[in-house]
Amino acid sequence: MDYQDDVVELRIPRKPEYVSVARLAVSGIAGRMDFSYDEVEDIKLAMGEACTSAMKDVAPEFAASPLTVRYEREAQRLTIEVINPGGARSTSKAPESLPPDEPISRLLMEVLMAEVDVFEDADRNLHVRMVKYASREDE
Amino acid sequence: MTSVQAETPTQEWESQDTTELFRELRATSDPDRQEHIRDQLILMHSNLVRYLARKFANRGEPLEDLIQVGTIGLINAVDRFEPDRHIKFSTYAVPTIIGEIRRYFRDKGWNLKAPRRLKELNLAANRAIELLSQELGRSPTYAEIAESVGATEEEISEALEMGSAYHAVSLDTELSDDSEAAKSALMDLVGETDESFRRVELFAQLKDAINSLPERERKIVYMRFFKELSQTEVAKKLGISQMHVSRLQQKALNQLKEIMMRAE
Repeated sequence: MDYQDDVVELRIPRKPEYVSVARLAVSGIAGRMDFSYDEVEDIKLAMGEACTSAMKDVAPEFAASPLTVRYEREAQRLTIEVINPGGARSTSKAPESLPPDEPISRLLMEVLMAEVDVFEDADRNLHVRMVKYASREDE
Repeated sequence: MTSVQAETPTQEWESQDTTELFRELRATSDPDRQEHIRDQLILMHSNLVRYLARKFANRGEPLEDLIQVGTIGLINAVDRFEPDRHIKFSTYAVPTIIGEIRRYFRDKGWNLKAPRRLKELNLAANRAIELLSQELGRSPTYAEIAESVGATEEEISEALEMGSAYHAVSLDTELSDDSEAAKSALMDLVGETDESFRRVELFAQLKDAINSLPERERKIVYMRFFKELSQTEVAKKLGISQMHVSRLQQKALNQLKEIMMRAE
């Protein structure tokens, strides 16, 4: 089957109970790729961390805007992305622009995923983009 | 929004003392002092281990085991950390601790066992649905199923949805080394029985040992290791300083260690 450009997108309210929805979607998608059970669990954990920090980390005027969670499936690669409207730190463009009180969630994501990329766009969205490769030893 | 914070650990391990303690640890040549600081650093960061271990607790291994292997990671991190490399200790320790926890899963052959667990959960959930339907006279909710089998609602959703999918994927592997799997399962069982006897015994000894501690130390041990409160939280409850708690805890643990060693 051709999985090029298979994209799933969710919009979830900023409420903790929806974190599990984002995690469940990962098992639905990654569970059918060449990932081991442990790898799927790792991806779910990273997804949960990204969503939880995104929910906390927002400018007040964006508190009502939902998060977008995006899953891009390719044959041997899964990219997950959490887009947090109003999560951008317009003051600092430092690479560690995740909330300063949350370095542990960032460390977790970096250990669990092959690539972690955090960036802001012009509309003050904070993106946390993570990649995991299927059927490849990641350590 | 505040409930998102619920899981955030206390930031005890971020304290500025950490770096100073490391400097002193590397500078001093007094072995007693070294051991004392090392112990202190390990205890100070045990919350971090717990916090991380809990994130892996839904994968079917007992939390205490994960805390134990995570602590090995922490000890390694304490022994290898160089305070002058200008990174925070937690930045260095987190990957080491998680690495140890993940290795534990790998070494357990968990990739083979896990789909079975999901399948079991799937079976248990289906059984619960049947039972609860009869009991309630209506179809049960996910929350009710979760409560009845002792899992979270998320796990139930996943088990009901994925149980069969994982099954299908792993069918071949399971068939081809079925006898091997059965053998190793049997061996696991034998090993675990011995282990649990030993644990019961140790547990009884430990209980006696804890009961022999002075009142306040006993309270501290209880709050720190059974209620999993931080030193700061315990300090607040007892109305003493965190340093005081730390000292009393150290004393209590040494005493427990001594009693347990004598009992062995």
